[in-house]
Amino acid sequence: MKLHRGKLLVDPPACASSDIAFTLIIFFLVCAAVQPETGMSQLLPKTEEKSDKREQSQNIEVSITASGIVLNGNPMQLPEFSRKLSTALKAKTREADRIVVVKSAPDTPYTAWVAVSSAIEQAGGVLTLELESEKIINVR
Amino acid sequence: MKIQRKQITASVPSFAMGDIGFLLLIFFVILARAQDDSHVQWQPAQLKDVEMAAAPLASVAIDTGFKTYLDGKEIATSELAAALTILLGDATAGQRNVFLKVHRETKATHFEPVIAAISEAGGDLTHILEPEEETKKR
Repeated sequence: MKLHRGKLLVDPPACASSDIAFTLIIFFLVCAAVQPETGMSQLLPKTEEKSDKREQSQNIEVSITASGIVLNGNPMQLPEFSRKLSTALKAKTREADRIVVVKSAPDTPYTAWVAVSSAIEQAGGVLTLELESEKIINVR
Repeated sequence: MKIQRKQITASVPSFAMGDIGFLLLIFFVILARAQDDSHVQWQPAQLKDVEMAAAPLASVAIDTGFKTYLDGKEIATSELAAALTILLGDATAGQRNVFLKVHRETKATHFEPVIAAISEAGGDLTHILEPEEETKKR
């Protein structure tokens, strides 16, 4: 005859559960904080002030407003702007000729500005900001 | 006759030391994140073609209230260029990364002077944006 041993119940120690939960919370917090970020990089040479505007007359001029884009005086929307800018920049080989002067209306939203600057970069243009205070910023 | 009590030795349980050490380590790692601007409320603009951004030396943000922050601390736009110049120090070109986190509804009057300040400090600007396709799926 076989003798059955009494089975012992094995409970996991509950006193460490709070420690484990706390550690897990911190782990996920740190993971969330170090999530890699995505974006669009632009190289900005130092800001320079230019009072003489005669040099810029040969450059492509873009005005951004809340309602649309004006390329060399012609109002248009983004897809058409991208097409026309690519065509205009194709023939230009020198970097100095590829400068695109961008002037934004005060109420221009950031989303519109980013879309236009991305289109200029993709077309191979050198973005230059013209600010109200006559500051010129070259964006490569 | 005196009855002597049994002397009980009070020892510190050593099995929890590993846990305590690990928690302290994480605590100091979080404290060391001086550039933390997670409290700044902003929504990124969207763009189709975005790339992974390299680690920044400084982070500039414009929140939903159009206030400007440098590494999580509020700063006037007029003081931004000088503060950034100090932060970027003698770092060489290509390593002077500055993150620009602009709330999507910000107008040019607010973000253009900030871009000018980053340019003045000689920072390598990275606009922090959200990929367009992923947000449409959500």
